Amino acid sequence: MGHTTVEWVYVGVVVAILCYVGADAWNVERILDITNAPAEAEVIKVTGQQWLWTFEHEDGRKEISELHLVKGKPYRFEVTSLDVIHAFNMPDFTTLIDAVPGRINSVWLVPDQSGEYLIQCREYCGFSHYQMRAKLIVEDHEGGPSVANAAAELPSKGAEAIAS
Amino acid sequence: MVSQSTIILLLIPLIAVFLLGIESAFAQESTGQYIAHRIEVWALFYRLMVVAFVIGAVVMGSIAYVVWRFRESHPKNRGDITTTRTGGTHR
Repeated sequence: MGHTTVEWVYVGVVVAILCYVGADAWNVERILDITNAPAEAEVIKVTGQQWLWTFEHEDGRKEISELHLVKGKPYRFEVTSLDVIHAFNMPDFTTLIDAVPGRINSVWLVPDQSGEYLIQCREYCGFSHYQMRAKLIVEDHEGGPSVANAAAELPSKGAEAIAS
Repeated sequence: MVSQSTIILLLIPLIAVFLLGIESAFAQESTGQYIAHRIEVWALFYRLMVVAFVIGAVVMGSIAYVVWRFRESHPKNRGDITTTRTGGTHR
């Protein structure tokens, strides 16, 4: 048993696979890092507290336990907490980041499909942790299904007048 | 003196990282098109699942071969199997 070719091939293959797995995961993490967030992303301040989420848009609009976003638009979430450690999670968009008191953590996202989704605290934060949810509503257009937008789609003159 | 095996083992990770770097450098050039977290993360998940299942299949295949090849009833294992130079004792 003098030759070690098979052993070296085996070691090489294992090292190559480990390198591929590590490099691939590192690369995806780097691409999705906050430093690669689009410059034009709208900043949304996210605050967690026992046991609800509040959101503040760039224009000052505030929402409680509900967040309205627009499909295809980039957002940058600046996440913090008022009391204990929470975790801001939008599972349908594979987004998760800790909300830590006294610290602002950032994550970015471009919602690529419209609909209603779940926002859930993903770090145990006390008695009602499991109820610390919010509703994420991704709208197709800016402004969402408002009265004017709905009326614009009606074929009557009156609706056109309302829309104008 | 660095052996040939060492050079090959060092080249493998370097080439792997270099290839990934080229791919991602061009991916970032497009303007007005954004990367979708959801798609990137699930694509990574499925790629790594493929790697995991391929490794699992290779390991299971190797075990199956060893069990089959070195069973007592294998034709090559019949008769006297203590035919080493030392007759089965250490020197």
